[in-house]
Amino acid sequence: MKLKELEQLKNEGVDHISSIERRRFLKLGFLVTGVYLGGKALSLAPLTEAQAAEVVPPKGKYSYSPHYSMVIRERLCINCELCVEACNGTNDVPSYGYRTDILERRRAIVDDKYETIFMPVLCNHCNRPPCVRVCPTTATWKDETTGIVKMNPGRCIGCKTCMTACPYNARYFKEEGRFVDKCNFCYDTLLSKGAKETACVTACPADVRVFGDLADTNSRVYELLHTPETLVWVLRPKTGALPNVYYTNA
Amino acid sequence: MNGVMDSILPRTGGLEPSTAKGINVALMFFGIFTLVGIGFGVHSLVVGHEHTFGVSREVPWGALIAAYVFFVVTSTGLCIVSSVGHVFGIENFEPIAKRAVYMSIVTIVAGFIVIAFEIENTWRMPVGNVVGANLSSNIWWMGTLYGAYLVFMIGEFILLQKDSHKKAAYFGLAGLISGIAAHSNLGAVFGLLNGRPFWHGPYMPIYFIASAALSGCVTIIFCTYIAHKVNKWQMSYDQEKAMQSVAKMAALTIAILIFFTIWKVIAGVAGHPPGKVLAMEALLNGPYSINFWVGEIAFGMLIPFIIILAVRAKNMGALFIASFCAILGIFAMRYDLVILGQVIPHYYGMDMVDYPTLFSYKPTLHELMVAASGLTFCLFFLFLGEKLFRGHVTESH
Amino acid sequence: MKRIAIIFIILAFLVPAVCLVAADTDENEYDEDLYGPEAPIIWEKPVRGVIFSHKRHTMEFGLDCDECHDEIFEMEAGAAEEYDDFNMEAMYDGKYCGACHDGDYAFAASSRCTTCHIGVRGVERLTGKSDDKNH
Repeated sequence: MKLKELEQLKNEGVDHISSIERRRFLKLGFLVTGVYLGGKALSLAPLTEAQAAEVVPPKGKYSYSPHYSMVIRERLCINCELCVEACNGTNDVPSYGYRTDILERRRAIVDDKYETIFMPVLCNHCNRPPCVRVCPTTATWKDETTGIVKMNPGRCIGCKTCMTACPYNARYFKEEGRFVDKCNFCYDTLLSKGAKETACVTACPADVRVFGDLADTNSRVYELLHTPETLVWVLRPKTGALPNVYYTNA
Repeated sequence: MNGVMDSILPRTGGLEPSTAKGINVALMFFGIFTLVGIGFGVHSLVVGHEHTFGVSREVPWGALIAAYVFFVVTSTGLCIVSSVGHVFGIENFEPIAKRAVYMSIVTIVAGFIVIAFEIENTWRMPVGNVVGANLSSNIWWMGTLYGAYLVFMIGEFILLQKDSHKKAAYFGLAGLISGIAAHSNLGAVFGLLNGRPFWHGPYMPIYFIASAALSGCVTIIFCTYIAHKVNKWQMSYDQEKAMQSVAKMAALTIAILIFFTIWKVIAGVAGHPPGKVLAMEALLNGPYSINFWVGEIAFGMLIPFIIILAVRAKNMGALFIASFCAILGIFAMRYDLVILGQVIPHYYGMDMVDYPTLFSYKPTLHELMVAASGLTFCLFFLFLGEKLFRGHVTESH
Repeated sequence: MKRIAIIFIILAFLVPAVCLVAADTDENEYDEDLYGPEAPIIWEKPVRGVIFSHKRHTMEFGLDCDECHDEIFEMEAGAAEEYDDFNMEAMYDGKYCGACHDGDYAFAASSRCTTCHIGVRGVERLTGKSDDKNH
């Protein structure tokens, strides 16, 4: 093709293509080249923001609606394990497994004594969930609306990579059904049926576990995480998983 | 079909396979053992891994993942070694290349067999991998690339048998690229887990490729020697030369691995990096210290290195012993690598009560039988291959 | 031979002596009539895993029996558990443990939960039942 002919060609006009169409086309191109993947997994702009922030996302920067999260008022936990029982009963958890557990820490205090701290643990429904990234078949994924990390049992090949990837030991292999099971904030058993809180939250007699929508500034979880002179932390923050289960001394 | 087979299977030429009874007995034994091992695997699949395997919630990957890694590392290594001659045209390596290509196919299939019994629901893979393809998952890439790798290597082998070396070289290159990509992704399966301090970092993919080269070198020495010994073939001058070259390459890769290992240890100890130092302690001075010092260091590195240097890579019998030691040591390396990454408790360093300082794992009979059947599978097809392909001799042009 | 004999003789004297001393201190250490039952009380209601130790309160802190018995607590094992108001709310109102644990005389019942609430784990450790869930 000669240059002159080229010049005479009528512009097909990218500006006539609708932006949705253009976006679709670009997305396809990105998918093919893997840029899309790189953008999702490696993009630096949102990352610096997330790393610079405290463990709690800054106001207004919630990725989900409702942005489900749980606040654990750790010092109140008395290890009665009513939460564990409620969870097992609600979610058909077998005797060899658990979705939530109570761990125990010990800290030396004055007068040569020590104090016991019970630490409830469950799936952190991370904003950057390592289990989701490693799953070869997307049998586990982060729900786009609620942010809950869910499982599709029929898709699970049982490679258990999600179990090794999870920094929190939140997953176990369920023999019945042959898939990796985990906490889903009681989504299928309670939340989707209109309940406002999870089984463990309802069962707790000491008001240790508080559940709600972090994006709602009137919610109790929001309030607890933004109370003056309190401490808020997450477990193993250095793994970069950005948990949605927060611990506080409030 | 017959026509294709005819063009691949040589009727004449090459080396006359021995018809000694012993070989057939060995073949039978390896074949039956493989079937028995697969029987153990099927049993586990039916009754559930939790009843037959030693893996747990805390240590979900056991001896079979180690065996899988071992086999695919060996396969990638054999592909690398074969490509030195076939793809990059270094003539010294030509005589071992055909056998290396053949064994790389055998070992990758052995790896697939082992992983098929390690994964709980293998049957969900074909659909799940396509419908649910996750491009950010290293496991997905590894599986897909190794699938392509297998196709390329089989293609290369068929073309080699048909004596179309130029086309074979293209397939060899494609196999090499996909193999290295797949294998470094296997390293990344471990290395990109931020929550596992012993694995985390770029070290894993790099180390995997380096150790693959060693695996390939020693495995081809082992196989070539044993094939000649069993069939009572005289090793040709070119073949011996090739063995010497491979042995020198093995010595070089051992040196590289020693260097890698020294820095891995120092990096794991200096400044007590949280979590990592626990694994390093277990490796150097704890429950895994025998594996490390005897298996990895003595058998995997020092003994073969010293033997190869002592005989100046010239004595075939000595090279065989060196390669055998190295293979044992490499298995210990795979085992330690897979298990140690998982035994550091998730909530280490938090003053936990009634919480183990290290998780534990012990392989069960079922796991060992499936892993061993992978080995006998390789030996079965090694001997069968020598019979069918008459010593994998490359005709000179 | 001689040396071995000497060692034996020394041992023959030493062992009973050590035993005697040990038995002596044991006996002197705790008197149930004076201090109340030595075995800790473990409450299951209204929640599991709460401990009360007589030894702690009497021998170590020097309280007399009648400071609690029979006004705050009946002197019968498990009696308090049967009352409907045996709960934290009541204690905050100064009943049961709350009589002393008011934040003044002793730490408040609304604080330092795990001092008394040793939990399922604590009870299992105390009764020797191992928790093999995590191991």
